[in-house]
Amino acid sequence: MAMALEGVRVLDVTGPIGHYASRMLADLGADVIKIEPPEGDPARRWAPLLPGIPEPESGSQFLLLNANKRGITLDLTQPHGRDLYLELVKTADIVIDSFQTAEAAELRLTTEDLIAVKPDVIHTSITGWGLSGPRANWAYADIVGCAMSGTMQLAGVQEGPPEQLPDMQGYHSASIQAAAGAMGALVYHQATGEGQRVEVSMQEAMSMSQETAMMQADILGTNRERGVPMRGLDIPGLGLHETADGHVYMMASGLAGAGFQGLVELMELTGDAQDLIEEPYVSFIDEKMNTNFIMAALSDESQRAAVQDTLVHMDQVVREFTKKHPKLYLYEEGQARRVLVGMVSTPQDILDSPQLAGRNWFVDLQDSGRGVTLHYPGPQWDLHGTPATLRRPAPLLGEHNDEVFAEIRAQGVTA
Amino acid sequence: MTTNGHSSASGATPRILEGVKFLDLTWFGAGPIATRTIAGMGAEVIRVETEKRPDGLRVAQPRPVDAAGYNVSGYYNNFNTDKKSATIDLTTERGHELGMELVKWADIMMTNFTPRAIRQIGMDWETVKAANPGIIAMYQPMQGMTGPHTEYVGFGSILGTVCGINGLAGSEGNPPVGVGTNYTDYVVNPIHAVTALLAALYHKRRTGEGQMIDMSQLESSVAALAGPLFVQSNGGDNYLREGNHVKYAAPHGAYQVRDGVTANGEPRPDRWLAIGCIEESQWQRLAAAAGHPEWAADARFATLSARKANEAALDGLIADWAREQDGDAAQAALQAAGVPAGLVLNATEVLADEQMVAREYFRYIQHPEAGLRAQDGSGFKLSKTPCEPTVHAPLLGEHTYEVATEVLGLTPEEIGNLVAEAVLF
Repeated sequence: MAMALEGVRVLDVTGPIGHYASRMLADLGADVIKIEPPEGDPARRWAPLLPGIPEPESGSQFLLLNANKRGITLDLTQPHGRDLYLELVKTADIVIDSFQTAEAAELRLTTEDLIAVKPDVIHTSITGWGLSGPRANWAYADIVGCAMSGTMQLAGVQEGPPEQLPDMQGYHSASIQAAAGAMGALVYHQATGEGQRVEVSMQEAMSMSQETAMMQADILGTNRERGVPMRGLDIPGLGLHETADGHVYMMASGLAGAGFQGLVELMELTGDAQDLIEEPYVSFIDEKMNTNFIMAALSDESQRAAVQDTLVHMDQVVREFTKKHPKLYLYEEGQARRVLVGMVSTPQDILDSPQLAGRNWFVDLQDSGRGVTLHYPGPQWDLHGTPATLRRPAPLLGEHNDEVFAEIRAQGVTA
Repeated sequence: MTTNGHSSASGATPRILEGVKFLDLTWFGAGPIATRTIAGMGAEVIRVETEKRPDGLRVAQPRPVDAAGYNVSGYYNNFNTDKKSATIDLTTERGHELGMELVKWADIMMTNFTPRAIRQIGMDWETVKAANPGIIAMYQPMQGMTGPHTEYVGFGSILGTVCGINGLAGSEGNPPVGVGTNYTDYVVNPIHAVTALLAALYHKRRTGEGQMIDMSQLESSVAALAGPLFVQSNGGDNYLREGNHVKYAAPHGAYQVRDGVTANGEPRPDRWLAIGCIEESQWQRLAAAAGHPEWAADARFATLSARKANEAALDGLIADWAREQDGDAAQAALQAAGVPAGLVLNATEVLADEQMVAREYFRYIQHPEAGLRAQDGSGFKLSKTPCEPTVHAPLLGEHTYEVATEVLGLTPEEIGNLVAEAVLF
């Protein structure tokens, strides 16, 4: 079947902040050539490493985010390496790099340098702070992006420190924005033949993930605190609940779906509804457990005080119920009744997910260079006309040097 | 007449999606942020909404004190810049016919309703494709359009638990409270969607072919959180939640600094400095910049594996040092030494942050009911075709008349009748 980005060539000259960007374009069919320094990308050696594979080929993040790419090594600090790189730039539609301004100037690989050899190049830059402003050359790490974007302030428990977002969300956010921006530039190039620069700052890339915090600060001049939203609002059926084997999160209080009545039905199935199917609770649930009442009870102490004992009892019955059952049971049986329940998944739960299995989402990919078959997550989207596919494993260090350099010679591009 | 300035904006600055017609049947976060991004690229985006069942964010907080109604929520307004709003009740027979006229009009449509709701409004792929064979249609329900859980319902906080972020974030021993937001709603799922929409448009312009895109928010979220499960399913260790630590670097964490004061002279308690020494040399430079070169010489901290083995002691030393430091001064000293370090900013500080201000990330846009408000800028800056928001989010139904006359070709009399029948309102 056709691929959306068939015939599009992308050079990936990024560090770990940018690996995911070109991975997505590769999945959509682009020919992505990853260019690493002679010693290899640092993520090749980043733990966790996969067992049974020698270094520097076992870094899990590297393997995950660089599948579908070819890989070559070039020393861009040496004239010969730089020349070869610029030969490749001439053949590329999109160049993605992660040089900060000082480094790009030193390497003589700024946007202008790329345009000099490829006037219509789409130069996509992914860095911590962008290519302008007083901090353009500041050092960055994933956790520092989380910190300075405002997202980390919202994560964690009140008694503890602000917490990073897990699994490199700073780098991933930057890469996700870069892929979309590069695609926009590619669509514009298709219409006009013109290239341009696409520039991503990790700090900016994450800002939208502050949820309402930015708007609250702007409108009301106050700041959201960490540890508040999911602590449980002391409204029955709302929030995190312990189960026999972990946790579920519920919104079974009239916001959508079957509401609290649906939850009571679920409890009745196993005889766990206790006195919630008797008066005064039946009437209370019928009349009060709706969005308007909940909002009022949350904001008005006196309204809340009048019903406090009832709410506490109902909450207790619900919590006794969830503790007796496995989370997958509560999730599937609750959702079958349109009760808003989600199970708190561990990585293993996701690997075992009936839904992901039902959609054949995971992909096994033979990696003959490493002598293993690897279990990969599937694509972000199912494009029915031009499906994203997983076609080749992450490159071994320098695996495609001969092949790619021979292609350059064959194309006869001259400097 | 165009009331929100789309036509005047198109004169000088080229836009990527000039002339692209986009039907927006999304609500809440993951859909509208995608269509906002598409609108920022210059497409004409028409949102179909109703007062009967408005987008939940229209009635959400935050809004200006004493402001009420459907048009003042900062939550909604930040996610819906540059769009038009037409109020059409698609669940009525005549409303459905008008909706199908918009399907025929559109180059691209997108919805994040559940499969059940999509059936209720009669906008499934077979129907849409029959009306407009060249259309690109993205369906973005929580779990995708097929599979045993396809009909499951939920908002971001349900998806967050199912996709695993609660199971990854925080520390072992603490309850899995998540990251304080419905995280994947705001960048991961919407901006993933933008890439697919643009790829499909690129393909359409090469071949003339439209297509259906089935985007499961669960799959999209898991794809961006896949590191731990990739390790675990390929023979590696089971994941343990480890707070601010990572396997590939140490020191790596948030360290409390002295309480500070804000620019207004008010107390700023609870200040933390995030530090991540990714390269070996960054650790040595941190020790020197902190005035403790002996740390780097200590055998317990000489290599990454040694530091990981002695991480509690390492964190203790840095925490003791940090507690005595002024945050801004410590950040400057570490950055001067090339150490990745940055203060954990709150939203007020992000808005005023010198780097964000210098790069004009936030855009200040006047809204007729909500006032002059900060809006998130584009997550990517394009040198020739800017994608920044320029026009305030639409009032509910602000463009109903315009869409009814210019797009649907209705006469004033027909419009009057449809308003009386509560199809348009």
